[in-house]
Amino acid sequence: VRVGLVCPYTWDVPGGVQAHVRDLAESLLSLGHQVQVLAPVDDPDAGGLPAYLVPAGRAVPVPANGSVVRLLFGPLSLARTRRWLREGHFDVLHVHEPVAPSLSMLACFAASGPIVATFHSATARSRALQVAGTAMQPALEKVTGRIAVSPAARRVLVEHLGGDAVLLPNGVFVDRFRGATPLPGHPDGPTVVFLGRIDEPRKGLAVLLEGLPELARLVPDVRVLVAGPGDQQQVLAAVPRSLRRHLMMVGRVSDADLPRLYASGHVYCAPNTFGESFGIVLLEAMATGTPVVASDLEAFRRVLEDGAAGVLFPVGNAGALAAALAALLGDPVRRRALSRAGGRAVLAYDWETVTRRVLEVYDAAVAAVPVEVSVPPDADLDDVTDEDDDTGRLLPGLRRWLAARTGRDGGA
Amino acid sequence: VREVFLVVLLLVLTAVYVSWTAGRLDRMHARVDAAWAALDAALVRRAAAARALAGQLPDPRVARALAAAAQAALEAGEQGREAVENDLSTVLRTALPMAPEHSPQTRELQQAATRVGLARSFHNAAVKDTRALRSRRLPRALHLAGSRSMPHYFEIDDTALSQ
Repeated sequence: VRVGLVCPYTWDVPGGVQAHVRDLAESLLSLGHQVQVLAPVDDPDAGGLPAYLVPAGRAVPVPANGSVVRLLFGPLSLARTRRWLREGHFDVLHVHEPVAPSLSMLACFAASGPIVATFHSATARSRALQVAGTAMQPALEKVTGRIAVSPAARRVLVEHLGGDAVLLPNGVFVDRFRGATPLPGHPDGPTVVFLGRIDEPRKGLAVLLEGLPELARLVPDVRVLVAGPGDQQQVLAAVPRSLRRHLMMVGRVSDADLPRLYASGHVYCAPNTFGESFGIVLLEAMATGTPVVASDLEAFRRVLEDGAAGVLFPVGNAGALAAALAALLGDPVRRRALSRAGGRAVLAYDWETVTRRVLEVYDAAVAAVPVEVSVPPDADLDDVTDEDDDTGRLLPGLRRWLAARTGRDGGA
Repeated sequence: VREVFLVVLLLVLTAVYVSWTAGRLDRMHARVDAAWAALDAALVRRAAAARALAGQLPDPRVARALAAAAQAALEAGEQGREAVENDLSTVLRTALPMAPEHSPQTRELQQAATRVGLARSFHNAAVKDTRALRSRRLPRALHLAGSRSMPHYFEIDDTALSQ
């Protein structure tokens, strides 16, 4: 199949949606399909960009909800999107997060044909979505089939936009993790691994640190490998001096070293407090074969099959976490059993399995809209010159857009 | 002069909106028709696969029930199609777990059942969008949908049949 993927967020800025689109693209390619990805790119001349990536320009940072979202929207982006759609001759167009005012939405407006849309967001920014729901109906009604990556994302969709979606989880490349060797010098004594932004409360490092005195009492030679970006001094300052010898701050870990990080511990710990719609880190640890201890968030319970493929403890309960970690560190038989159960459970999330199900959705979408993806021939916006962003082009673009519209409709 | 300009502007905007909405409705009805054709094909494929598998079931009572339900689904007209396909789904929920695991007929039936789930969800999404736009005030007042009949959802219980 020829697939056109659209990623609304800047490719060279790390993020969950970007990683999902990249992995899906590579998985489709490895199954022998043809793939192009249209995405905003900050530095198109930087090395290391994949061959399937088509840069759509530089996104503009927009403050939203207390953080900054980088979006791409405007006549130039629209023109680039239209040109890409026209030249791609795609069998199916697969847009991601089309409710974000960015490329995916533009592609929905511009294209006709079989369109599949994947919804990632699990946070109900209800007012924004309701406004969006009405205003974007003309774009969303072109979507043939919808995919949600988690029950939470699906719920947001059903509640705020109406209609349903096929549930297809995020994937993990199991082969990249299975059988990884530990980082040099690890594990050195009973070791627990934590990964995540260390200064972001919802990743729950504070819960793990709160349980550290109890854990150190139960397992005197325990070590906790803390990996992830953030201010290490600030974290260490909150830990009593006598306990700091148990902590090893690893800092940011490269993608290549990730499997080795998971393999460096006897137990992987995910003490997240809320907001995790999907347990991708859990899946990676399970693929590596490291037993998981995680808070009983809905998403984690599902991935760990209600405790059959990992240990669950009540969210935020540091005492229960310390007890669970200590019990597992002292029980190699249980660890082996959990490692096997986790390794089996993760297969349902292997990218190859997930991608085959995505391909079934593509097939069904093509059956329901049996034409090639195309751009309805209106508007003469395709002759724009290549500039780096849309700033300053908005008004002339708008004028030409209006001219094109009224001219066509007058004749219709 | 300003009033005239405003009236003309309003007329132009209305004309643009009406023409655009009429185009949207056209596209959406075409989408419903194509989605129904795909769903129809998926249902036929599922019924044919069910009939082919019936002979391989170990329990003769379930085998007879499946063959009968599949035959009824293949022969059903537009009227009562939902009920007949729903019956087939019900029998399949009993029959599929006892089907031989590595038979190509089982695999085909599983794929066909998955496709029915997808096709039905795509069809009903198209119906929902079309009904939503048609029930808005302006399209209704101006009869923008013309003589086309209001599309209907296709409701059967196919839970636990899709993979």
